[in-house]
Amino acid sequence: MPELFAERVVMPIFALQEPIPAEGTAAAEGHFDAGKTIIEHVSNNLEHPIVHLPKIMGIDFSVTKHVLMLWLVAAFLVVVLTALVRRYLAQDRLVPSGLMNALEAVVEFVRDEIVRPNVGNKWVSTWAPLILTFFFFILIANMVGLVPIFEVLALLDRWVLHTGENSWLNHVIHGGSTATANFNVTAALATITFFSIIIAGTMAYGFTTHWKNLVPHGLAWPIYILLIPIEIMGMFVRPFALTMRLAANMTGGHIAILAILSLVFLFSEAFGHAMGIGVGAIAVPLASLVSLLELIVVFVQAYVFTLLTTVFIGMAIHVHH
Amino acid sequence: MENIHLFGVAIGLGMIVIGAGLGIGRFAAAAADGIARQPSASDKITGAINLPLFLLEGVAILAEVFAFLILIMAGPK
Repeated sequence: MPELFAERVVMPIFALQEPIPAEGTAAAEGHFDAGKTIIEHVSNNLEHPIVHLPKIMGIDFSVTKHVLMLWLVAAFLVVVLTALVRRYLAQDRLVPSGLMNALEAVVEFVRDEIVRPNVGNKWVSTWAPLILTFFFFILIANMVGLVPIFEVLALLDRWVLHTGENSWLNHVIHGGSTATANFNVTAALATITFFSIIIAGTMAYGFTTHWKNLVPHGLAWPIYILLIPIEIMGMFVRPFALTMRLAANMTGGHIAILAILSLVFLFSEAFGHAMGIGVGAIAVPLASLVSLLELIVVFVQAYVFTLLTTVFIGMAIHVHH
Repeated sequence: MENIHLFGVAIGLGMIVIGAGLGIGRFAAAAADGIARQPSASDKITGAINLPLFLLEGVAILAEVFAFLILIMAGPK
């Protein structure tokens, strides 16, 4: 059992440079493989890239689904936010209305409740743009995973359009649409945090003093032998925790929803279609409730990533041991 | 006996849940106590609880990720 599970689950998640090996084992026509289906729906579609590009220096630059979602989220944010703010600034009297009201409320919340208490009044305007970018990007990237656009497209393809196996539409449908469920994406965000911490300390104190501030001064010298490696490890563990927290939260929610829905297919395969329909009457509302919980998790995880980034930046600026 | 790592993962996950549950429960109890004694400080208490709460949840999720790693990496080849 673990061999099959390892073969069908490990490869998509961890061997990210190789495609999933071919289905060699006995899988009869129409047999529902719950594990493979669930993993396919949350991970990246590496074997059906949308635009296949050659490997440059060992790095595969193909446009996969998660890359496409990153671009879509970025384009959406740039277009919507700049359009809103331009329309607001072009008015005679600067009175916000409608969506600009909501945007202003969110921006003020992030700047006054997250950035200002941690970074201090002097550095608010330096770090607020980065923190706001983090917050909006992670929020929208998380939320896009909950909107079933690609499932609707898949239904359209299956029942109406019948495009072939290798069509562009078919390649877009495979894979999960939550870019932040991929730990490579969240690792990139955490790398930005890592360098922001160093830059914040350098801007506040100068390059060498920032590194000297890692440990408190005035202690007996044997303690430093223990303290310096711990602080250096801490410097790396914090962005790693940020990475895994966001990626695992997003993946876990989607896997829970898909597992509940897979119950319908598993029961209908084992006990007949009537049983499947009965289980469906319970599973679909349950999956909807878990999706609502997912919505809360989406907001909370965006807030937590942003808050922790700001706290770490603030710790580099206001060194207090 | 070759799949004994599954046993370890199962026990480990149970302990992670116990640890996270106990920790978050103590947070909630302390927060409720504080708000009961001084209702006017409820905003500050909520703000102070936020950060450690999510740090603890992050620790639990990190541990779950390592358990998942053991689950799929270990085992007979």
